Amino acid sequence: MKKKIKLILLILFIIFCTLILSLSVRGLSGNPNGWDVNRNEWKDDGPFELSPERGRFALTYSLIEDKSFYFSEAIARFAIPDLGYKDGHYVSLFAPGVSFLVSPGYLIGRYFGVSQVGTFALISVIAILNVLLIRAIAVRLGANAIAATIGSLVFLFATPAFSYAVTLYQHHISVFLFLLSVYILIRFKNIWFLSIIWFLAMLSISVDYPNFFMVLPIALFALAKMINIKKFKEKLNIKIKLYGILTFFAAVLPLAFFLWFNMVSYGSPFQLAGTVASVKDIDNQGKPIAPRNASVEDARKFTNLELQDKQAVNFFKTRNMLEGFYIYFFSPDRGVIFYTPVILFGILGIILSINRKNKYTNLLLSVLAANVVLYSMWGDFWGGWAFGSRYLIPSYAILAVFIALLLTYWRNKTVFLICFFIILAYSIAVNTLGAVTSNRNPPQVEVLGLEKVSGRQEKYTYERNMDFLSQNKSKSFVFQSFAKNYLSALQYYIILVSIISATSLILLISLRIFYRSESI
Amino acid sequence: MIKINLSALTLNFSINKKKLKAISNFLEKKTHLYLFAVLTGLSLGYFITFYINGLGLSYNDARSHLDIGRRVVEGLKPGVAQLGSVWLPLPHILMVPTIWNDFMWHSGLSGAIISMISYVATGIFIYLILKSLKVSILGRIVGVLIFALNLNVLYLQSTAMTELLLIVTSTAASYYLLLWYQDDKVLNLVKCAFWAMCASLIRYDGWFLLLTITFLIVLHSYLKKGYKVAEGIFFLFCTLAGLGVVLWFLWNLLIFKDVLYFALGPYSAHAQQQQLDQAGNLITKGNWVNSIKTYFYALFYNNNTFISLLGFLGLGVFAFDRKINFNTKLSSLALIAPLIFNIIALYLGFSVLFIQGINGNTWFNARYGILVIPFVAVFSGYLVSKFSSLKYVLIGLLIFVTFFQFTSFDAVTIDDARVGSSQKNVSEVSGWLAKNAEDKPGFVLISAASHDAIIFSSGLPMKKFIHEGTGAYWDSATTAPDRWARWIVMRTYDDNDSTWKMVKSTEGFAKYSLIHQFPFASIYELREEFLKDLNTEPVLPK
Repeated sequence: MKKKIKLILLILFIIFCTLILSLSVRGLSGNPNGWDVNRNEWKDDGPFELSPERGRFALTYSLIEDKSFYFSEAIARFAIPDLGYKDGHYVSLFAPGVSFLVSPGYLIGRYFGVSQVGTFALISVIAILNVLLIRAIAVRLGANAIAATIGSLVFLFATPAFSYAVTLYQHHISVFLFLLSVYILIRFKNIWFLSIIWFLAMLSISVDYPNFFMVLPIALFALAKMINIKKFKEKLNIKIKLYGILTFFAAVLPLAFFLWFNMVSYGSPFQLAGTVASVKDIDNQGKPIAPRNASVEDARKFTNLELQDKQAVNFFKTRNMLEGFYIYFFSPDRGVIFYTPVILFGILGIILSINRKNKYTNLLLSVLAANVVLYSMWGDFWGGWAFGSRYLIPSYAILAVFIALLLTYWRNKTVFLICFFIILAYSIAVNTLGAVTSNRNPPQVEVLGLEKVSGRQEKYTYERNMDFLSQNKSKSFVFQSFAKNYLSALQYYIILVSIISATSLILLISLRIFYRSESI
Repeated sequence: MIKINLSALTLNFSINKKKLKAISNFLEKKTHLYLFAVLTGLSLGYFITFYINGLGLSYNDARSHLDIGRRVVEGLKPGVAQLGSVWLPLPHILMVPTIWNDFMWHSGLSGAIISMISYVATGIFIYLILKSLKVSILGRIVGVLIFALNLNVLYLQSTAMTELLLIVTSTAASYYLLLWYQDDKVLNLVKCAFWAMCASLIRYDGWFLLLTITFLIVLHSYLKKGYKVAEGIFFLFCTLAGLGVVLWFLWNLLIFKDVLYFALGPYSAHAQQQQLDQAGNLITKGNWVNSIKTYFYALFYNNNTFISLLGFLGLGVFAFDRKINFNTKLSSLALIAPLIFNIIALYLGFSVLFIQGINGNTWFNARYGILVIPFVAVFSGYLVSKFSSLKYVLIGLLIFVTFFQFTSFDAVTIDDARVGSSQKNVSEVSGWLAKNAEDKPGFVLISAASHDAIIFSSGLPMKKFIHEGTGAYWDSATTAPDRWARWIVMRTYDDNDSTWKMVKSTEGFAKYSLIHQFPFASIYELREEFLKDLNTEPVLPK
């Protein structure tokens, strides 16, 4: 009976997440062609507002509609400024995984006359799977089921993960692959399950190249599973399961896919997308040219593409770390402290977990630290024009697990729960704002230049999203297609925030009421 | 059906715990040796790398240090007086046994070898400090590797700069202070005093360290044994530790007739800072926020932001660690002395440090941030040991950031040396001298204080140059240049260049033609018709 209630509650929670994401997913009705998507209503004013979603959608479109790895001129223009050029062809500058994985969404959407919405909705589905994985991992680590549900809710609706669950970015897919690998490591003892981890790890590299460094800790933990050390009084017994090596073969399939894609797109299996020469503008004849505002040196590189020297590891520089930490945690344009302060409770969860010698704290902490440290070395900390620190989405997921543990440990502390709720409500309000409006927030460093061009004050925090909303604008597909006839964008936003906050409050109250004194 | 026997694919073995312990003990006993071998290998490897790629002598100061050492043994007026007062003398004294050799001088090895030995020794002292703090063997090795694999350290140990020598003497002094705090043995106090004295003869940072250690010693003695013993210990310690400072005052009095010549003389850092201050470029002076911010940037850039944060976290945990006694905590304050000194020096305007993009658009003295590396290494190593459950995570992350430090060739000291104010591209002037003055008789009149880098880079013997340290030659040449100098190298119209200041209004100066004007100096040559009256041999008594 108890199990059935738990199952019903879980299903209700999934329905809740599905409902909120359905109301927030961005898009427009129709099956646009290559030239349609170049129109402003689809680009700047529409769902393809920034180059990462354009670049990935471009490849999906090209594969399905044009049956080609090379972009047509229309699609190439659409993908600018993240457009590659190799051997006379326009190619994708992004790792291919996302574009392939969302193609079922595109096909289903196209069937219903909403190809773009279908593509974006697939990311929302993966975001829901992430919520379930966070919940499951937290429960496995000893969290109370309600606390685990709150933790997962924090991840999805109170961090910038929300804004990236309703559009086409790689982050949720990467998080899904990490979390699934972690879950398998925690859940299964049988060594053959490692084959799934190798498969997922290799697949994650096709989704986003820097994932290589973030799956490293998971891979090392997986490797350690092949070695068993038993301590006896007089001796140590060591057992190395050499047959575990056979599980590596599972990585062959995604590896083959990866090499094949590189081969057909860039002419060499070892050429990575990000290292291909980039094109920033195209002339009337469809040939690459230097952008109008390029310096002489840059112009030379855009007209002589072979001069562009791009090496994969050169994107990461340790000198950037100090600025990176500042941007990620404290800056007004991207800082966690402004966008999602609730996630910082996860740090308390980590400390408590370490003190309680939680077995898998190391594993989760390694992924978290690899994510933060790696991207603090990345030159573009801001993630271009973006909402919050999008590169830290994997860290939000891990911290959400620790929030679940913290809530479990401290679920009888009413004052803490009240403080937690206040900060949670603020974080939900901020991130729902991003989700229903736009991710087009410039970094602070670009604002002065931007103001010179636009001749008006340019905001770079979530105030920009508030202005967007106050102009009665929302990029939500449901709002634009149906709700705008009945509600203003602001009312629509307030309803969403209220629903999510109320649900969080109910869950927190339940956690407090159903508190049991047994220690975890 | 094929059936695979999985047990055949499993490697099963046992290790006797006693044997394991014995192996571990054996390895631990020999750790010094292994460390010595690894550090020596790294040291040699990186010296060769920077020698081959030509970066080893990029710092203008490195060339000046080598010239000072060389002038003691070769030149128109060789002797110990050539040690001068601009810099404290120990680094140059240590060069004397090797600097006579042209290869050792011009390759920079004469100075670099001191840095290299210091590098190896510092690694071992860090290991020993961690051992006395009862840090696990893994934590100790991590601490040493944080120091040894820092690219800035590897660069500085390959040059004739003084940072590594200061670091080793400070670390050694801190180590023996820690031992003395733990066991009260006089021998450790004497060793501490010796190393503190050495530090005080390398850079003025050493003077602050000396003060800090003296304070810690007196405090410890007073708290433990009362006033009388504290007084005795103070005198015992200061007799040796303060000897260097006293000798330096005496040296300045004897040679320059002014006990504070090093601090207030025309070539002192103080004089340089005054110029910067007048130009409005000393933004740290009188401003705590700017001073702290500037130094912390230098610290993070030199020691790696992540590793520095680990070090500070380690310090925090160390301070509240109940298993470590108060005395040990107190003695460890000596490791923090460089941090405090540098901030105070910036605040008081005694020191200047530019970080590109933070205070100005250039680098200058950014390397000062590396002086806290023993502190960072020790407390990071301690942290790894303390949080043993997280050791693999921490070590993994350290490997991770170190890997990227090397792939991105992130060494702020190299930027400081190559593109900052610390470098001078004097190759045009020195190249001209090497080509035109080598085989012709006659001296070059030049200010060593302004153009030591030119003297070094020309490859000409020191005895070819008349500079401030050549006594009667300098006096004669700046009065009647046409009788003593075939060439004059100086910055025209710049009174900060003492050659120009003294020569510009002499009668003889009219007999020179301006041959070349380069960014850092101009070259004047005595016209042919006046060569007959020129002295080309060192005829004055040495």
